[in-house]
Amino acid sequence: MDHEQLNPDNSSPAALELDQRLVRALEAAPEIRIPAGFAARVASQVAPRPMVSSTPTHYGDYAMILGILASLAALFGLYTRNQHTFDLVETLLLTQFIGLTVWLSLRRHSLR
Amino acid sequence: MLTDLTFEQVVRDHQAMVFRTLVRLTGSREHVDDLAQEVFLRLYRALPSFRGESLLTTYLYRIAVNVAQDEWKRRRRDNLTHVSLSDDTSGWEERLPHPSHNAEQQIEQREFQQAVEDHLQRLSQIERAVLVLYHQEERSYDQIAYALNLPIGTVRTHLHRGRKKMREALKTHPIQERSPAWTTNS
Repeated sequence: MDHEQLNPDNSSPAALELDQRLVRALEAAPEIRIPAGFAARVASQVAPRPMVSSTPTHYGDYAMILGILASLAALFGLYTRNQHTFDLVETLLLTQFIGLTVWLSLRRHSLR
Repeated sequence: MLTDLTFEQVVRDHQAMVFRTLVRLTGSREHVDDLAQEVFLRLYRALPSFRGESLLTTYLYRIAVNVAQDEWKRRRRDNLTHVSLSDDTSGWEERLPHPSHNAEQQIEQREFQQAVEDHLQRLSQIERAVLVLYHQEERSYDQIAYALNLPIGTVRTHLHRGRKKMREALKTHPIQERSPAWTTNS
């Protein structure tokens, strides 16, 4: 590692020598003794993690599409049965249809 | 990423780094394998939330520093204020390679190394961690900042301050005679 001078204010030979020795001492890694089989011992202590599928299922998305289609079908059914009025049920269904469509399109865009 | 590796392989790949960091941060080999085990267990527990925003090694340094801090707190509670790498299985500094074949120079070098270790343990926890990560582990400022959860400017300040303290301590007390207090509890 490229070390900047430790003591820029004092560039006397003695100070520079001390800086260099200090850096060498700090860089000297301690000798370590790792117990035999340490990794296996640690690994044996962790509970096996349940397998988690990495493939998303999108069940919610499918349910949402079905909901949109059902709303559309209900709207169409009500419209053909009662063409001269636009009552509360139809208004609610239309609102639900528009809301679900907008929400799903935004969500699918964010999942890409 | 970890999906292709077994956890045991991850431990095997990083155990040396974790051991030497813990030894230097805690200043002792006592219980170091227990501490290293704690580091890896914390890593395992954190793996589901590890999103790869950093290298696994940098993440491990972060955990190792936290475990070392917990150890320091435990020692403070138990009043184990003064420990040293020169414990019963010690002498690692005496086995450091040195180009000089002059015996007197080698002894002086060992004593200097021991003085550095001693003064290192007298720094604040954060200064010691910054010095160890920068000099021994050769981590960048960015990586140290992430590991210690500090701004980079603060890392630079601690590094500068820690080295200044070390330098002044070594000037004032260049080589201290070894005392039993270094190797035992206070």
